[in-house]
Amino acid sequence: MRGAVAVFLTLYLLRALVAEANSALSGAHIWLFAGGLYVAYSALMLPFGQGLAASVLGGLLCDAAAPLAFGTHAALFATAHAVVFSVRERLQRDAALVRVTVALVVNLVFFLALSAARLRLVPAGAAAWPRMLSDLLWSQAAVALAAPWFFALQGRTLELARARPARID
Amino acid sequence: MRIGQSQRFDQARPFVALGLALVVWFVAPMAVKTFARASFFEMTAPIAVSASYAADLQRFWALRLHSKQELIEAGRDMARLDASYSVAVQQNGELQAEVERLRMLLRMPASDRFRFEHARVAQRDFSGWWQRMVIRKGADYGIPVGAPVVYSGGLVGRVTEVHATTSVVELISDPGLRIAAVVDGDTRPISYQGAQNRAFGTARGVVEFVPLDVYASKGVPRRLATSGLGGIYPAGLTIGQITHVEPSADGLFKTGEVSLDRRLAELTEVTVLVPANPG
Repeated sequence: MRGAVAVFLTLYLLRALVAEANSALSGAHIWLFAGGLYVAYSALMLPFGQGLAASVLGGLLCDAAAPLAFGTHAALFATAHAVVFSVRERLQRDAALVRVTVALVVNLVFFLALSAARLRLVPAGAAAWPRMLSDLLWSQAAVALAAPWFFALQGRTLELARARPARID
Repeated sequence: MRIGQSQRFDQARPFVALGLALVVWFVAPMAVKTFARASFFEMTAPIAVSASYAADLQRFWALRLHSKQELIEAGRDMARLDASYSVAVQQNGELQAEVERLRMLLRMPASDRFRFEHARVAQRDFSGWWQRMVIRKGADYGIPVGAPVVYSGGLVGRVTEVHATTSVVELISDPGLRIAAVVDGDTRPISYQGAQNRAFGTARGVVEFVPLDVYASKGVPRRLATSGLGGIYPAGLTIGQITHVEPSADGLFKTGEVSLDRRLAELTEVTVLVPANPG
């Protein structure tokens, strides 16, 4: 489980960085969501059990700071992890572009799922979509920019922890 | 044949494991989930608090760069403010004594009293889904869940979670927050709810059940304040300005838009009103 712990530490750092970025951007009413980064690398590179543990723990970190039923992020991340893991052999997962694309797609799905769950609370829900769309675009841009660095960080952390990612055939 | 079955099981294995994990989670006792939530929050709290202290230190050193001339001018302005506030405090004391005397005469029950707990904002989390902030005081300062939070411009929101050294405040711009409010100069209660928070714009709320004889526009906005009903927020705290009203679909009331103070998104310090006699 050394790999799961190493990846979880990087997710902890990611959570702290995203929270600080959101705090700094609050004056402009811009909010970044980086759920895709919590799942992409562990689902593509780690053995199933270790990756799932890291994704679920990362989801619980997000859940602790969100006014949602505890476990919502964790369940979403675990489901996405299982789906990405089941198709990963068909992907060229050692290519950075593929990893970034997976992170972006997963991020988009998470964002839409959470928006759908939360939209019922917003009065005149349709009027809230421009803000949602704005947050989504900023989030996707942030994920696309940060993903190569973050995946490299996760890879190096695994090397330091002597828990190499799963062999790519 | 056996190899084919094995391959199929291998393909299904992630989903079987996922299903098992979900089942375990659903049947886990609530106490386990509550403990896990508190633990994970406390795990992230040191980062938020440390970053907040680092920002304070940065601000301190930035202020140290001001010239003596600027400090002297600031001190003079502060002295003027202090003098005017001293007069206001004296007048307030006299008014409080008068209110107390009238209450005794009329044998009215004592109104809620609060202890003011000032707290620095450690982190803000303003998404389109929710609007919250973390403050640097929690159970260690006796902050209770549900306590109103205010700033110089009026109401900020209420405390929704209390942790060891931090608390989470739900803002009035949060779509999930509803408050019984009144229009300035009117006593009839109306319903306020946080609404859209446009990017690069100010936060907004909506009001419902506005009486038909209440008018407001961008040119002539009406101040919206807490009504004191519901027992959480004291009466008279500014929520925002009603900038638009129109008849609702049923024609019995009006609905409208509320413009919230821009400073809400940039607060660095707030005050928690801790009930002096809880319960």
